Amino acid sequence: MATGFFTDTTLCIGCKACEVACKQWNELPSDGFTFTGDSYDNTSELSGTTWRHVAFIEQMSVDEGGLHDRWLMSSDVCKHCTNAGCMEACPTGAIIRNEFEAVFIQPDVCNGCGYCVTSCPFGVVDLIEKFDPNGLHYNLASLNEARLDEDKTALQGHGGVAGKCTLCYDRQKIGFEPACAKACPTESIQFGDVDVLRERARKRVETLTGRGVSGAQLYGVDDVGGGVGPLHAFFLLTDRPETYNLPAQPVLPSTRQPAGYGSAALAALGLAIAGWMIFRRA
Amino acid sequence: MSDLLEPPGREETTPVPTYYERPLLKMPHWDSWNVVTYLFLGGVMGGLGVIGVLTNPKRESDRKLKRTLAVTSLVLAAANPAVLVTHLGRPERFLHMLRIVKIKSPMSMGVWGLVLYSGAASMNVMRALALHGVLPRWMRFLAPSFFAPVQALFGAFIMGYTGVLISATANPLWSSGKRHIPVAFVCSSMSSACALSSLLSTLEGNTEVTHKLERLEMLASTAELLALMSFERHAGKYGKALFSGAPGVRLRTYTTRNGILFPLALNLLGAIVPLPKPVDAVRTVIASVFTLVGGYLLRDTVVRAGRVSVQDPSVAFVQPQ
Ligand code: SF4
Ligand code: SF4
Ligand code: SF4
Repeated sequence: MATGFFTDTTLCIGCKACEVACKQWNELPSDGFTFTGDSYDNTSELSGTTWRHVAFIEQMSVDEGGLHDRWLMSSDVCKHCTNAGCMEACPTGAIIRNEFEAVFIQPDVCNGCGYCVTSCPFGVVDLIEKFDPNGLHYNLASLNEARLDEDKTALQGHGGVAGKCTLCYDRQKIGFEPACAKACPTESIQFGDVDVLRERARKRVETLTGRGVSGAQLYGVDDVGGGVGPLHAFFLLTDRPETYNLPAQPVLPSTRQPAGYGSAALAALGLAIAGWMIFRRA
Repeated sequence: MSDLLEPPGREETTPVPTYYERPLLKMPHWDSWNVVTYLFLGGVMGGLGVIGVLTNPKRESDRKLKRTLAVTSLVLAAANPAVLVTHLGRPERFLHMLRIVKIKSPMSMGVWGLVLYSGAASMNVMRALALHGVLPRWMRFLAPSFFAPVQALFGAFIMGYTGVLISATANPLWSSGKRHIPVAFVCSSMSSACALSSLLSTLEGNTEVTHKLERLEMLASTAELLALMSFERHAGKYGKALFSGAPGVRLRTYTTRNGILFPLALNLLGAIVPLPKPVDAVRTVIASVFTLVGGYLLRDTVVRAGRVSVQDPSVAFVQPQ
């Protein structure tokens, strides 16, 4: 069964319970404290060690009708794409699609090459660099305990490994729902069978539009285009995707390969023919 | 009330167009010397394999060149995985890439191309040594001559795959050059390979082949120049990270001017004006070194500009097709 998330941003209250729950369950280290001044968002982005990120968008405008203000909040996460750029790019096969059809990185297989990082059209996955096994709580062992032994893990050396949301593979295996969804007090993060969630998302956007909520739209329930396909973690937004730092037109990187290989082959063939004439005819 | 809330000096606070102008995409982790060296050496090594198969077996000078190419390409093929390992951290991490063959991943394809290329290159060195009597002569039957075209074929592949590797990504700059970057890398690999071959041949005193190599080098670097010019025109706002500002200056100075135009002029001079031998040798050495440095810095500049590109929110949200 394919499981995933329907994140209904209209219900988000910005409590960051999902961020904290994810960090705790996955034993992810703190990213330090930076005061950004960007509303209540001091996390800024998803990273190798931050797998849920709550965005805060303050909108205010004044016209003849008076003051219009909205405070949008949205919990972002890996999209678990139908066609995942990160997974296609990974040269070690560390990134797999598991039995829940989630995109999962096996940390002991990853070699830290960083190719997935440049291949995610949503800017989700990143490397956790300079892993120090003796450091405080720097421990991703819960992801793959059975396969971690003393010195042989990819984690235990420099170079780092790629990190992103696992869709709580370990929790799902024992029948628990992901920590972030479990912690969400408003059901802004809804976890379940993606087909059921898609239906629910479509109904919800109709209801909201009927109530006159302006700009209510779905992101990733249907194909997002560019070859990426529908997402397994999709969103209900009330503004353009860019407002939430989501790409309006993502493109699956591998779709560019035929053009690349084709033109490289032509160039190489041309040079080889020219070289043949120079060496063999002269 | 609205008067009170209006910030002084501004009509209204409009919604931010993107999320606090924050980058959408993640920074590539590839701007260190080892990745750039890996990309560069791979290209050069591939080019050497291709030149090897072009040489004319009926001519002694060509045969000598072929031997030099065989040994040099094997040395580079052995060095390159080591360079990559310095990036990955530990040697066995390189082996993780040999668990699988993945057609969809240019990095996986490239590593296999490299491995197979190294195999063919070892065979060709073995053949050369057997023919030369360094190894027992019967050993040439273990390494038949068809390994030369095999090496050339994998060589052609590794000249080009590095360009595909970086352009088939989500990086706005690199992906906008999905055709141009692979072509520029192939041409630059060929011109660098020619430069290295003519440099080594000159040092060996095998000057008969240098002018032929330089003719091929001139063609390759002209094609490289055209590919870069076309890339700049085609990429538009996606190309800003590479063609304007400091990276633009760097590209134009070290790659276009010093790495393409200057050696081109020197090689043209060598082709037209008959120079005395020692002067010609110096000319070849200078032209070759500049071409090689230009080729290295082409990769370096393009890879670094990828980091600049992701910081520009205006190109990340609508990604090049
Ligand atoms: S959002 Fe990015 S990291 Fe997540 S599955 Fe898609 S491509 Fe991979
Ligand atoms: S960093 Fe790891 S997960 Fe990412 S592409 Fe490389 S090997 Fe695969
Ligand atoms: S599913 Fe698990 S790993 Fe993913 S964001 Fe939620 S808590 Fe974190």
